[in-house]
Amino acid sequence: MDLLLVIYVLLFPGFLFLLAYGFLLQYLDRKIAARMQARVGPPLLQPVADFIKMLGKEVIDPAGVDRAAFDAAPLMALAAVMTAFLYIPIVGESPFAFQGDLVLVLYLLTLPTIALFLLGWLSRNVFSSVGGVRAVTMLFIYEVPFFLALLMPALMAGSWSISEIAGWQQEHGWFALLQPIGFVVGLIGLQAKLERQPFDIPEAETEIVAGPWTELTGRRLALMHLTMQVMLVAGSGLIAALFLGGPLLPWNISPAWLATIAGFLMFLGKTLLILVILASLKVATGRIRIDQLNDIGWKYLASATILQVGIVLLMDYIRVGT
Amino acid sequence: MSGVLREMLENLCSKPFTILYPKEKVPIPKGFRGKIAVVDEKCIGCSRCARVCPAECITMIPDNTEIEVKGKKIVRKKRPVVKFFRCIRCGLCEQYCPSEAIIMKCELSESGTDKEVLVQ
Amino acid sequence: MPEVVLPIGPQHPALKEPVNFKVIVDGETIVGLELDVSYTHRGIEKAAEQRDFIRVIPLLERVCGICSHAHAQAFCTGIEEIMHLEVPPRAQYLRTIVAELERMHSHILWLGVAAHVVGFNTLFMWTWRDRETTQDILEEMTGNRMNYGMNEVGGVRRDLKPGQISSILSRLPKLEEQIGKYVGMVRGEETMLLRFRGIGKLSKAEALKYGTVGPTARASGVDYDIRRDDPSIAYAEVPWKVVTDTSGDVYGRTLVRIGELQESLGIIRYCLEHLPEGKIGIPAPKVAPRGEILSRYEAPRGELVHFIRTNDTDRVERLDIRTPTLANWTSVTVSLVNQNIADIPVIVAAIDPCLSCTSRITILSERGRRTAEMTWAQLVDHGQRFYRKWGRS
Repeated sequence: MDLLLVIYVLLFPGFLFLLAYGFLLQYLDRKIAARMQARVGPPLLQPVADFIKMLGKEVIDPAGVDRAAFDAAPLMALAAVMTAFLYIPIVGESPFAFQGDLVLVLYLLTLPTIALFLLGWLSRNVFSSVGGVRAVTMLFIYEVPFFLALLMPALMAGSWSISEIAGWQQEHGWFALLQPIGFVVGLIGLQAKLERQPFDIPEAETEIVAGPWTELTGRRLALMHLTMQVMLVAGSGLIAALFLGGPLLPWNISPAWLATIAGFLMFLGKTLLILVILASLKVATGRIRIDQLNDIGWKYLASATILQVGIVLLMDYIRVGT
Repeated sequence: MSGVLREMLENLCSKPFTILYPKEKVPIPKGFRGKIAVVDEKCIGCSRCARVCPAECITMIPDNTEIEVKGKKIVRKKRPVVKFFRCIRCGLCEQYCPSEAIIMKCELSESGTDKEVLVQ
Repeated sequence: MPEVVLPIGPQHPALKEPVNFKVIVDGETIVGLELDVSYTHRGIEKAAEQRDFIRVIPLLERVCGICSHAHAQAFCTGIEEIMHLEVPPRAQYLRTIVAELERMHSHILWLGVAAHVVGFNTLFMWTWRDRETTQDILEEMTGNRMNYGMNEVGGVRRDLKPGQISSILSRLPKLEEQIGKYVGMVRGEETMLLRFRGIGKLSKAEALKYGTVGPTARASGVDYDIRRDDPSIAYAEVPWKVVTDTSGDVYGRTLVRIGELQESLGIIRYCLEHLPEGKIGIPAPKVAPRGEILSRYEAPRGELVHFIRTNDTDRVERLDIRTPTLANWTSVTVSLVNQNIADIPVIVAAIDPCLSCTSRITILSERGRRTAEMTWAQLVDHGQRFYRKWGRS
C-alpha cells in the first residue's frame, strides 16, 4: 500500500506526470495562440528545451540583494503549487483527500503571487517594486470573487473536500450548468491568477520591463516559469473538478481499472477544454490598467458573485424547506 | 469583439502566414536590387560608377586589358573594385554605367564575416 | 509614497528607438518629465553638404527607414523649384503612388505597434501580416522594401509596366477588406477602447500652441494638411479628403490614421487608373543657382520641412531638416502630466515617434555656452569619440 502511495506521489499521477503535463499544456497553449494569430508556433518539445536552457544560464545577483531569499522564493512557490496538485482528483478520488482540502488548495495557490511580491520588493529595482505592488493589488481585487465562486459548489454539495464535490456532481449534474455565473467568474479569476492577458498587469512588458520578473535569471527564472506552468495544470484541474465533474462520468463503469482509465481520460479532456478557453481569452484581449481592473473587478465580478451566492443560498433554502 | 473572434477562428483553421525560410523561398521580383556584381567583359573603365556612388565603396584600380565594345577594340586603363559590405544597393552605379558592366543581381545579398571583402 | 524617478530609456521595451525620459512618479501618477533626444545623431546635415545632388538623395533617404521617400521627396521638390525644373506629370503620379504606399505601410505599422503597446499582440500580428502586401507592391515597383531609391532630381528612376499596374490593382481590394476589419476591431474591442479613450488629451488650443503637426494635430481638430494647403507632386489633381477628429485623445488619433489609410488606398487606385503617358524624368543641371527655399511635405507623421540654401555649386550649402516627430515631442510632455505610468507607452506611441528623424542635435560640452562651426572631419572625429565613450560608460 505504501509503495502504491509513493508511486502516486512521485510518478503518476503525481510529480512526474505533473511536470510532463505542465509542459504539454504550455506547448498547446502557445501553439493554439500562435495558430490563431496566423503564426506557426513552437514545436512539441519547446517548453522542455526552454526549461533546460534556462537552468544552464548564468545567475546574476544585483548588488546588495538578499541572495538566500532570492533563491528561496521561487522554490517556495513551486513547492506550494506542486503540493496543491496532490489534492486534486485525477483518477478518481485523491488519496490525500480530507474535509477542508479545498481551503488548503486555495491557500496554496495564492503563495506564488506572494512570492512574486517578495521578489519585486527584494529586487531593489524601481520596475520590480512597481510590479510587485501591482501583483498584490490584483490579488486583492480578484481573490474575493474567485474564492466565493469556488466555495459555492462546496456549499451546494455539502462538503469541504474536492473529491467529494466531484463525486456529488456525478449524481446531480455539473456545477457548470447549475451555477453558470460561478463558472464564468472562476475562469476569469483563474486567468487573473495566472497573470495572462487581459490581466498580465504585473508583468506588463511594455510598461515596466518585466515587473517582479526583471531581476530573475538562470535557474530562478526557470523555476518561476515552471511554477506558472504547474499552476495552470493545478488551476484547470481544480476548476474541472469543481465545475465539470472532475474525472467522473455521469454513470458508473463496472470494472475498476476501466473506470480509472476513463476517469483519467475525462480529466485530460476537461482540462484541455479549459485550456482552450483560457488561450482564446488570452489571444482575444489586450492588457487593462490596474485602476480599470479595480473598477471592473468590484463593479462586475464582485456583484456577479454576490448574485451567485444569493441564488445558491435561495436554492439551498428551498431544498431544505421542501 | 465578434470581429476578433471570427478572425481568430478563421486563422485557426487555415495555414499560417509564415514562410518557413530556408525550406520555402520567397519569389524575388524582377528588378530587385540585390547583390552587386561586375561584368568584366563589358567594363570600359570610365569611372562613372566610382564617382556617382554615395557610399564611396567603388575604387578604380589600374588595369591594362583589351576590351571589345560595339565592334571596336579599346584598351581599358582602369577597372572597378567594390567593397561588398559597404554597398548600400542604391543602384546609381547601374543607372549611370554606359555599358551595363556593373549590375544589381536578383539575389539576396548574404551575410559574411569579412568586412573588407571585395567584388571585382 | 514618496516621489520616485522612473527611467524610461534609453533602452526600454516600450521604445523602438533610444530616447531618454526621466519620469517623476508619485504612486502611479506622473508629476514631471525630462526629455533627451540626442541618441541617434549621425551628422546627416553636415554629410549632405559634402555630396552633390546625385549622391545626396540616397543619403537623405536613409534619414529614416519608415518615411524615407518623404525626405527624398521634400528635398527634390525644393531643388527642382530652385532650378526651375518642370517635372513631367507621369513622374509626379508615380511619386504620388510611392508616397501613398509609404503612408499606408507606415500607418499599418503604427496600428500594430499601438496594439502591441497595450498588450494586444494579436492585432499586431494580423496588421503586420497585411502590411506585407504593401511591402510586396513596393518591392515590385522600386526594387526594395525600404529606402526605395525612386526619386532623383528631375523625376523618378523607374517606370511601371502595364502588367504591373493591373497586378497592383488586383491586390488592393483584399487590403481594403482587411483594413475595414481592423476599423471594426478598433471600434469594438473593449480592452483597446478602455486603454485608448480619454488618454493623453490634447485640446485644439494646446495643439496649436505647441506646434503639433500631422495626425496628432488633426485628431485635436486642427484642419491642416500640407497635401491640401501647399500641394506638391500630384495631390492637387487627385480627389481626396482630409481626415480630422475632435476628441484629441489616443483613440481620436487612431481613427484619424485609419481614415488616412482608407483615403490613401483611394488615391493609389485613382493614380494607377489615371496614370498619364510620357517621360519619367528630365535631365537636371549639375549646378543649382543661388537661393534659399523652405520645402514642405506631408510625411506619414506630419509636416516635414527642409530648409535648403544653395550657392551656385553642385552641392547644398546648408540643409536643415525639421521632422514632424521633433515638433510633436512637446505635446507628449504636456499630455503626460497627471496620467498613469501605464499610459506612458501609449501616449508616446500615439505621436508615432521616429527617433532617427528627430536626433538632429548633439551636446558637445555640458558647461560651455558657445556655438561654433565644425568641418566634416571634425564632426566624424567627435562622433566616434562620443559613441565610444557612451559604450564604455
